[in-house]
Amino acid sequence: MSVSNLVACPSCDLLADVSSLKHSEKANCARCGHFLTKYMQDGTLRVVSYAISALVFLILANCYPFLSFKASGFESEMTLAKTALEFYRYGMLDLALMVGTFIILLPAFVVLLLLSVSLSIHNQKPSAWLTPASRLIFLLQGWCMVEVFLIGVIVSLVKIAAMATVVMGISFWAYAAFTVVFTLALSSFDRFQTWKKIELLMEGS
Amino acid sequence: MSNSAASEGLSSCHLCYKLAPKSEHKCPRCGAAMHLRKTDSIQRTLALLITAFVLYIPANVLPIMITDQLGASEPSTIIGGVLLLIKLGSVPIALVIFIASVAVPLSKMFSMLYLCWCASQDVPISVRQKTVLYRITEFVGKWSMVDVFVVAILVALVNLGGLVVIKPGIAALAFAGVVIVSMIAAESFDPRVMWDNLEESLEEKND
Repeated sequence: MSVSNLVACPSCDLLADVSSLKHSEKANCARCGHFLTKYMQDGTLRVVSYAISALVFLILANCYPFLSFKASGFESEMTLAKTALEFYRYGMLDLALMVGTFIILLPAFVVLLLLSVSLSIHNQKPSAWLTPASRLIFLLQGWCMVEVFLIGVIVSLVKIAAMATVVMGISFWAYAAFTVVFTLALSSFDRFQTWKKIELLMEGS
Repeated sequence: MSNSAASEGLSSCHLCYKLAPKSEHKCPRCGAAMHLRKTDSIQRTLALLITAFVLYIPANVLPIMITDQLGASEPSTIIGGVLLLIKLGSVPIALVIFIASVAVPLSKMFSMLYLCWCASQDVPISVRQKTVLYRITEFVGKWSMVDVFVVAILVALVNLGGLVVIKPGIAALAFAGVVIVSMIAAESFDPRVMWDNLEESLEEKND
């Protein structure tokens, strides 16, 4: 039994052999049930395609109005960047930075990293930045709050629906689509499988 | 019957799942720092939890949002917003907001506290359920940020000159602090400590 086929459960440390997984089969820990890995034949290509569409949707989401709000003849419009920037206008730079980082900057950075890492694995091109870039993805992915923000939008809509008419802009739909493909890209970027591929690629170079 | 990585003299990289001999300090594959178990997990988690509880006070006492309507300024706290919604008859929405901003963050912090206590017991019971509880706590972590995002959206959206303006309150910052600190607290906790204690107590029984 080779050590490279084994994975230790991150929750309970039990060793499991995950070398015999077939296409789209996943492994869970036998002792505590924690998800370990899922093998996809076309895993890397999936990440490439989801990351490209995520990038397109994110760009669209930043180019158009997000929501507009009408009440008694007055109208105000909101863009994605404004959610963060308005905090700055009220003197809360810290919150502006936090919100901007969690919903736009960090997801954008992670998408770019995902795209470059998956492309270089797919094209079998090893490079020195491959390992640190993949490390960054796994380090930062937990801090992307894309889906949380989308739920926040829905809660706010419900909260002010009685007050006025709210119209959803192109940007809203683009961000919703971004949330879906971004989540798919991250879940296709399987930790165990990806690192195995990177190791192979770096050994060959 | 398979064994734990630690009993085989292996430690597992938290970033890339690489298995390497216990003596390694740096992951041979990805270069991340390697530890057999997270360093001082219970103490760190407890310290961060205390910080989160302290921040939770201003997050609830101070206003999270200030609504300026026709010249009248009305600050509202998290609980105040929930009570107002109940008074206006929107009980379902009030319930959603109560669950997202009061019930979930509080139960998250208390369950981490409970898990720290469990991990310091020598003879742990129902470790599997506690591991699942930990994973739920970890998963739920960032969802409490919903509240801060709602404030951000309302502030950016509702700005109709003299008619009605919504401004952010300082509690939003405290609340964001609660969420971030408790996320780091959950990340510092190591459920494997409970399994180690279980394995040890089983070995003692067999001896």
